[in-house]
Formats: sequence, C-alpha cells, structure tokens
Amino acid sequence: MNRLTYAVLTGLIGAALLHIIIILSLPHFTGRDAFTRVKMTGPSHRFITLPDLSDKQADAGGLANVDPFLKVAVCHFDLTLAPIRLLAPAGPGFWSMAVYDQDSNEVFSMNDRTSVGGDLDALVASPVQVAQIRKAPGAALTQSIIVEHRGTTGYIVLRTMVPAPSFATQAETFLDEAVCAPLSGD
Amino acid sequence: MFRVPLLIAVSLFIAFGGGILTTLSALNASAGFGAIRLGVWSAFPDVQTAGADPYAKSHRAKAGRLLYGSAEGLTFTASTDESGQQLTGNCSYRIVGRTPTARLWTLYAANPDGRPLETRAELPFAQNSQGILRNRDGSFEITVSPTAKPMNWLALPDAGAFSLVLTLLDTPAAGSSGLIGLEMPKVESLGCGQ
Repeated sequence: MNRLTYAVLTGLIGAALLHIIIILSLPHFTGRDAFTRVKMTGPSHRFITLPDLSDKQADAGGLANVDPFLKVAVCHFDLTLAPIRLLAPAGPGFWSMAVYDQDSNEVFSMNDRTSVGGDLDALVASPVQVAQIRKAPGAALTQSIIVEHRGTTGYIVLRTMVPAPSFATQAETFLDEAVCAPLSGD
Repeated sequence: MFRVPLLIAVSLFIAFGGGILTTLSALNASAGFGAIRLGVWSAFPDVQTAGADPYAKSHRAKAGRLLYGSAEGLTFTASTDESGQQLTGNCSYRIVGRTPTARLWTLYAANPDGRPLETRAELPFAQNSQGILRNRDGSFEITVSPTAKPMNWLALPDAGAFSLVLTLLDTPAAGSSGLIGLEMPKVESLGCGQ
C-alpha cells in the first residue's frame, strides 16, 4: 500500500512536470500559429486581403475576416535585405495597423488618429537599419513613423472598418492600394 | 512478481494522462491569466504582447488568430447572462447600457470557436456603433433573439450555446490604466422558447 501511494505521488509530480513542459514548448511547434497562417496566405512583401468567412474559399484552417465589420489584409516580411515601407492613402474611416514578430508578439500598433494626416506612412526596420536611417535621413522619410523591429521576420495586419455594406468598395480599394514593400534606393 | 512493473505503469499512466489532460483543459478553458472582468464581460488586454503569460502564449499559438494591437482595439466576450446562466440560442436577451469610451464598436454572437454564428445573410447577425438606434443619453438597448424584434435586433440562429463578442476599436480601455471605473452593458435574459 505504501508503495502504491509512492507510485501515485511520483505520477502526479510527473504530470505536473509534463504540464509545464508542454505549456512552455507548445508555442514553438503548433504549426498553426498566426505567423504560419499568414505565411500560408501568399507571397511576402505585399498586402493580401483576407476572404470573408462566408466565402467558400475561406477554408477551415486559413485566416479570414472574423469580425463582420472589419476587413483585414496581412503582409509578412523579411528585414534582412532592406527595411519595409508601409504606405496607404487616407482610408474611408477607421483603419488600424499592427506589426507582429514571428512569435506573434505585438511590436507596434497604430490607427488613423495616431497617424500623420490620416495616411499610413511607416517604416519597419531593424535596429541597425534604424541607425543608418537616422544618420542619413532621406527626404522621403521625414514624415514616416519609424518602427524598430528586433527580429528579422514578422507580419503586419491592416484593418479597416466597413460599418455598412456601401463602404465595402472603399475599404477594398484602401486595402488593395496599401503598399508593403522593401525600401528601394540607397 | 508483477508488482514493480505494475507500480511503474501506474506512475507513467498518471504522469502522461494527467499531464496531457490538464494541459488540454487549461488551454481550452481560458486565454490565459490577466483577464479584466466587468460584469459578465471579460477581456485580455495583454494577450498579444511579449509580456503575456505562458498559458496565453500557448493558447494564441494554438488558436492562430490575428489579435488586436493595443492601439487597435480590445475584445470583450460574455458567455453568461447577469444571473450566471449560459447564453443559449433559443432564449432572448437584452443588452442594455453603454460601452466604455471607444470610437467604434462591433457586436456579434459567436460559436465556441469565436466565429460569428451563421444566419440567413439578410438578417442582422451583427451590429456596430454606427448602425444602432440610441436613447437620448447615448445609451442603447439591443435585443438578441431568434425571432424578429423592433428597434435594435441581433438575429440568432436557433443553435445551442453561444457567446457575445463586443470589440471596442481605438479605445483607452486597451491601455492598462483606470479600467475599474469602466461601465459595460448588461446582458439580461428575457425568457426562453419564444
């Protein structure tokens, strides 16, 4: 009897240990985290508008516009070669943008009220690239919001609101015209 | 003679079975610690940040959703009414009151996976702050019901348990300060089976 209690106790300690190990290691191997799903949507360095949930092309595992009133576009990037420039003209109303790293931690987020003049004009750069830009700022970047990103990869989520179906065309145009491209030039 | 192998088997069974089951139930139960609860509504303002707890990080890696950044919005969910009963699709509810300060908000009924419940496309299965009728003092009243209601109506399909998802966009509530004084609308039951 004593030995059975001992065995059960060992089992419980093992269960607690396994619980901690699984919880801590799970984020590294689920294979269906947000960054993996964003990469599955299409090529890098361009905004890809997500399908609505009602669309049949929105398959079960993929990303879709979950909120009926928000249209979402995603762009995954790699900063190794050049910083990423984000540009979009003033949207039809509310829009918001968030930058996430490869572990889906928020790096930066903003919306149309915190932008310069309602336009999206931002630059995502690694710390070294930020230092280079600060040393020799180009004329084109004086208005840009510069976001320092410590990793090399990550993704950007751009959302805009469609409060009524009549706003849908404007919202689609806004997301289609949004640019997420490597900074060209020097 | 088989005593020692039996004891080892018991230990291993408890360790693996218990470890896996508790992990799964912990990940399904909640999106981590650090929830703010206001009445029946709860939200997780830090779940998308690097400072999120390990449970929150595991949960979001498993769910794979695009979360709202702190300047974007904050999602509140409610799965019970004011009396603590689970929200179900054959009952009617009234959402009455006002939301915390936010530029816009959206409201829809969701299944346990967090996806909006499907109704016929022409029914108002979701509402937002720009499309509803309000009282003179800015408060509002939305009836959540499977049958059509006057004024603000949120259509429900007649299908089991659901939760209400209220997303506040561009809200100071997403910052960590001063949340205690915030007011959320009440979810009152209006009776079932009608």
